[in-house]
Amino acid sequence: MKTNDIILQTVTKVTLFIIILFSIHLFFAGHYYPGGGFVGGLMTSGAIVLLLLAFDMKTVANILPIDYKYMIATGLLFAVGTGAGALLFNAPFLTHAFKDVYLPLLGKTSLHTAVLFDTGVFLVVVGVTMTIIQTIGEDE
Amino acid sequence: MAFQILLNFFLAFVWMFLKVSYDPVTFLVGYFFGLLIIFAFRRFFDSRFYLLRVVAVINLLLIFMRELILSNIAILKVILKPKLDIRPGIFALETELTEDWEITVLSGLITLTPGTLVIDVSDDNRILYIHAMDIGDVDESVSSIKNSFEKAIMEVSK
Repeated sequence: MKTNDIILQTVTKVTLFIIILFSIHLFFAGHYYPGGGFVGGLMTSGAIVLLLLAFDMKTVANILPIDYKYMIATGLLFAVGTGAGALLFNAPFLTHAFKDVYLPLLGKTSLHTAVLFDTGVFLVVVGVTMTIIQTIGEDE
Repeated sequence: MAFQILLNFFLAFVWMFLKVSYDPVTFLVGYFFGLLIIFAFRRFFDSRFYLLRVVAVINLLLIFMRELILSNIAILKVILKPKLDIRPGIFALETELTEDWEITVLSGLITLTPGTLVIDVSDDNRILYIHAMDIGDVDESVSSIKNSFEKAIMEVSK
C-alpha cells in the first residue's frame, strides 16, 4: 500500500537545510570546539538519508547527481595532498602550517592546512556512508 | 523563488543562532553558506536557482541604462541636424509576454529605445502600438532590439 508522504516531504524540505547548515557549523567548529570532519560528514550524510527516506532513490539521484565513489577518491586525494604538500617545504610528511590572514568579511582568520585535511575526512565519510546505504538500498 | 529567498534568510538566522553572534558579518556568512546549500540542492525546487533570476534582473538593468544613453545621443543627432529628413510612422508589434508587469517593462524599454515610443496597448494585451521617429530604416532593426528586450524580460520571469 502506498501512503501519502506529503507531511514528511514538506518537513524534509526545510529540515534538510538546517541539518546541513548545522553540519557545516560542526565542520568549522572542529578546531576549537567539539566537532570536525567526521561528525560533520556523518551529519551531512544523515541529511541525505532523510532525503532518501522522504523520497525514493531515483528522485534523490536526480537531485544530487553525485557518484559517491568519486567523492571518496577526492577526499583521499585531499588528505594525501595536504600531507604530501609538507614535503615540498622540506618538512616531514603531514606537517601542518597555519597563517593569520585578514579576510575582507571575516576579519582576522587563521587559515590552517588541517582544515583541508578535515575536508578530505568530510568527503570520505559522506562518500562511504552514502555508498553503504545506497548499495544496501538498491538490492531488491 | 520567494521560497528560496525566505529559506536562505532563515538559514542565515539559524547560522547566527548557532554561532551566538548577532552581527551583520555572521548573517552574511550564514547567507553565503545557505546559498551554497541551496545551490547544491537546486534541482530539489520547482523553480530554478534564484540567483540566476537576480543575474537576469541585473542584466535587464544594464540594458535599460545602455538604451537610455544611446537614445539620448540619437535624439541629439536628429536635433542638431540642419535638415529634417525623418519619416515618422506608427506600427504594431505583437508580443508574447503575458504578465502585466512584463508588458509594462517592455513598453518602458521600447520608449527609451532610440526613436520609438509606445502609444497604446491593445485591449487583449497582445499588441503594442509604437510610434517610430524614422520608420524606414528603423522598422527592422527595432524589431530585432525588441526581440532582445523580450528575451531579457522572459529570462527574468522564466
